[in-house]
Amino acid sequence: MAQAGFAYADARPVLQGIDLSVKAGEFHCLLGRSGCGKTSLLKLAAGLLLPASGQVLWRGEPVRGPLREVAFVFQRPTLLDWLSVLDNVLLPVSLSRRVTAADRELALRWLDRLGIAEHAQRRPSQLSGGQQSRVAVARAWMQQPALLCMDEPFAALDALTREELQQDLLAVCAEQGSAVLFVTHDLAEAVYLGDQVSLLDRGRLQERCTISTARPRGTGWRDQSGFHALCVSLRRQLEVTR
Amino acid sequence: MRRLFDVGISAALGIMLLLAWELSTGWWQLSALVLPAPSQIGRSLWQGFATGYWWPHLGQTLLSVLLGLGLGALLGFGAGILLGQSPRLRRWLTPYLVLSQVTPKLALAPLFIVWFGFGTLPTVVMTALICFFPLLENTLGALDQTDERQLELFRALGASHWQTLWRLQLPAGRHQLAAGLRVALVLAWVGAVVSEFISASHGLGAVIIAAQGSMDTALMFAALSLIAALGISSYSLLGALQRRWQ
Repeated sequence: MAQAGFAYADARPVLQGIDLSVKAGEFHCLLGRSGCGKTSLLKLAAGLLLPASGQVLWRGEPVRGPLREVAFVFQRPTLLDWLSVLDNVLLPVSLSRRVTAADRELALRWLDRLGIAEHAQRRPSQLSGGQQSRVAVARAWMQQPALLCMDEPFAALDALTREELQQDLLAVCAEQGSAVLFVTHDLAEAVYLGDQVSLLDRGRLQERCTISTARPRGTGWRDQSGFHALCVSLRRQLEVTR
Repeated sequence: MRRLFDVGISAALGIMLLLAWELSTGWWQLSALVLPAPSQIGRSLWQGFATGYWWPHLGQTLLSVLLGLGLGALLGFGAGILLGQSPRLRRWLTPYLVLSQVTPKLALAPLFIVWFGFGTLPTVVMTALICFFPLLENTLGALDQTDERQLELFRALGASHWQTLWRLQLPAGRHQLAAGLRVALVLAWVGAVVSEFISASHGLGAVIIAAQGSMDTALMFAALSLIAALGISSYSLLGALQRRWQ
């Protein structure tokens, strides 16, 4: 993303002069206060919005719309309540071609990997919030994305469920080698998940810090002083923003 | 158990009302020409069934309702989808659609006799015209009210315009479409019967007019109660079908 800017019609610019690149396999967190333009930046990256100035590049080519290689996980699970959990997961496939037995098997494997295989035939409304988020994540993985864009996907979940999902997400990312662009307003979440954390303030990227702690980072890392030191330093930088 | 109790209370209320009606016609010695007693209406109803008088009329009205509802619902649904595709087309056509709805359609019945003759055809056309609007409105409403986030999801997944319509907007709006169909069904009975007043020699509407001519008020009430019973059962049947499908 080079000098990208974006503004909604008849409003002040939401994003200005954004320079951001995400390498293959990198977990990149975007951190910022509410309303700082995080979600717009993520939608630019996914091709859901087009830049008003500058450009957004995917493998060197300008992005002109949503890309098949990029999956998006929204703030809320956004499941279709008239389809079974399995059919929801299969949606990206069924929209592009006929679903095969192999697709079904793959979808069930994802559901199993995320611990909700037994709910495959139920309706989304019969599932808890955490389980619905898992379905949304499984649906994104069905696209076998090179880049996964996630917009505060776990913000509405309780702390324990969120930690479980973070663990699962990191494990699956490591397996698949997908890059992730992860929007959050939660400091600890950004530090725990990210290889890189970028701070966004009023539509501009402020700081970028590298979290070099080796993976896999067990949940125990959260209790260690290194983790806290990183959180404190990020917090200082975040406090400067408004 | 509670449900059974409610049904029981509801039925008891109805029976009490009929009983009061029966007693009051006797008490004030009302002429059967003005208000026949429920027992007289019941007798008229029974005689009609025993002699087979009702069957051709019932069949005729049912046919008009089904054909009119099918035709009108299909056209309304199609027009709703068409207008839903283009806001501009919608702005162009909406004034005329509303105009066609605010003119009392039943006043067109004499004209329909000129155009379509006497019998089933004008009744079906009238019924279809009445069923058209609820389906049109509800289809448009269903398309308008698709969840923004789900639309964005389909966009992110690269879904085509038609995929978004068939796989998201219509299934998401199925409750509203079903409600539109139920409203259309109720209106279809009104449309068919009133149209039969004017443009048919068969059907329950025609029976009412004929009974009026022969001053057989009990027969009029019998036809009315048949229409009411048919209306209620078809509405319940459609509701049950819709619940099952959903």
